[in-house]
Amino acid sequence: MNVLELKNISKSYGAIQALRDVSLAIEPGEVVGLMGDNGAGKSTLVKVIAGNFAPSSGDILISDQKTVFHKPLDAQKAGIEVVYQDLAICNNMTAASNVFLGREPTRKIGPIKIVDYAFMRKRSAELFARLKSETRPRDLVHRMSGGQRQAVAIARTLLSDAKIVLMDEPTAAISVRQVAEVLNLIRQLSDHGIAVVLISHRMPDVFEVAHKVVVLRRGELVADKKASDSSPEEITGLITGAIETA
Amino acid sequence: MQKKDIGLAVLIIVVGIIVYMRNPLFLSPINLGNTANLIGLFGLFAIGQGFVIMTGGIDLSVGSVIALLGVLFVDMVGKFGVPWPLAVALMIVLGVVIGLAHGVLITRFKLQPFVVTLCGLLIYRGIARGYTAESTAGFPFGSSYPQLEWLTIGRSFGVPHSFVAMLIVAAIMWVVLHHTVFGRHLCAVGKNEEAARFSGINTRFVTIAAYVICAVLASIAAIYFAMFTKSVQPSSHGNFYELYAIAAAVLGGCSLRGGEGSVIGIVLGAVLLQELQNLVNLLGIPSSLNFAVMGAVILLGVLADQQFAAYRNRKNTERALGLLQKS
Repeated sequence: MNVLELKNISKSYGAIQALRDVSLAIEPGEVVGLMGDNGAGKSTLVKVIAGNFAPSSGDILISDQKTVFHKPLDAQKAGIEVVYQDLAICNNMTAASNVFLGREPTRKIGPIKIVDYAFMRKRSAELFARLKSETRPRDLVHRMSGGQRQAVAIARTLLSDAKIVLMDEPTAAISVRQVAEVLNLIRQLSDHGIAVVLISHRMPDVFEVAHKVVVLRRGELVADKKASDSSPEEITGLITGAIETA
Repeated sequence: MQKKDIGLAVLIIVVGIIVYMRNPLFLSPINLGNTANLIGLFGLFAIGQGFVIMTGGIDLSVGSVIALLGVLFVDMVGKFGVPWPLAVALMIVLGVVIGLAHGVLITRFKLQPFVVTLCGLLIYRGIARGYTAESTAGFPFGSSYPQLEWLTIGRSFGVPHSFVAMLIVAAIMWVVLHHTVFGRHLCAVGKNEEAARFSGINTRFVTIAAYVICAVLASIAAIYFAMFTKSVQPSSHGNFYELYAIAAAVLGGCSLRGGEGSVIGIVLGAVLLQELQNLVNLLGIPSSLNFAVMGAVILLGVLADQQFAAYRNRKNTERALGLLQKS
């Protein structure tokens, strides 16, 4: 069973064809490295999957069922979560508040609904434990390392029982040690049966965690192969066009 | 209470002790009652301003709203004989309308809060002056409204009701800010609007709501001010009040960059401002220097706070490094 399948997805903006006949299947727990040069269509593909806009043609299948997303919320409900590079976190709040941002649990005191901080802390502590991260729920995010921030962002996806997590350059702006932390988080997600689409420019990161590597070039899918059957050199060739397809 | 609030409370007490030592009248019941009344009046709309500032915005129109609604309220009740509960309700509705207008212009039309509310400042003041043709609006001679007066300028056990009203509003807003989902979202929108939006928060609603809260509290304050001064001089009533509100909010720990602030802090900020006013009066400093004293103290306070925070950060870092070296 595929958790996500794309069939002949095309997307054009006026005369510009951003995606052309892209087909791709992802299994539960699979880590897919999505690679490509700037303007190759990575972001467009991610936005189509995340429901930001509909494809011009082609089908999206979630758990083998045809699905149409009209807005990002639809994709979220179908189990697709996006971890944005640095956007989705509020520095002035605690880790727990960020995990629950936009879906705060409440309890009633008489007629008023108040935020249930105790529950938020307890639940997010459990999530961080599951991710084997040392992030503490009460800590303010602006005091945290890049890796811990990613843990907060990823804990959000666990909270909503995501099936697929799209990660946009999660290792772009952080130190080497933190990169290892983030890659570990990705493995944790995969161990929990959650598929991860990792968009990254950093070849070593992709080869360390990805089961399969997908390359886009000028809107077309030019490679879709197991990471163990490929090499960074081959992928570089595919990205630049030195190698036609693989 | 946050650390900042405690620091501010300490500052208030220290200034209080100094003033008391120089002039014991500071703690006389009459002086305390009068100061409490002013704290209540200014605190009411400073809380609203704080909410707007927490979204990363600013509301410069508060003083003009107080003038315009004050003129309208006095005229309605005094001249046209509108029953006062109806007039109060109308003022609050007008507050909602003004807040909505600001919020919609800022979120839908993407105008800057500074510009929108600056135009508000000019427009409302202008309407107030035009409507009255520059003449002072006042209640007819000998008229009295016992219930309305009891609610606004009355006192119980020496405590002015404006102060009580401010405390009630502060308690409600404290729950709203620190213990409701809306309060969480307000902080999120103020700090990182994009993140809030990606998290599924209706950021437009949150921003508009903040401006509505601000304008409604300003309209309630307008009624209290009108009842306090009994007559409203359209060109000077409420002048610069928006700046008092901003000063109180900033003193109280609201960051003008948004996302930070506490209701207790704002109230304490309002307390400190009135204490300083009082200090100028009691210590015989020429009242023309009033603004200069206030400005200097705010500047020093903010500077000290900044330095203290930097010092705390340094200490924390040192401690963390110490722990690392040990392990």
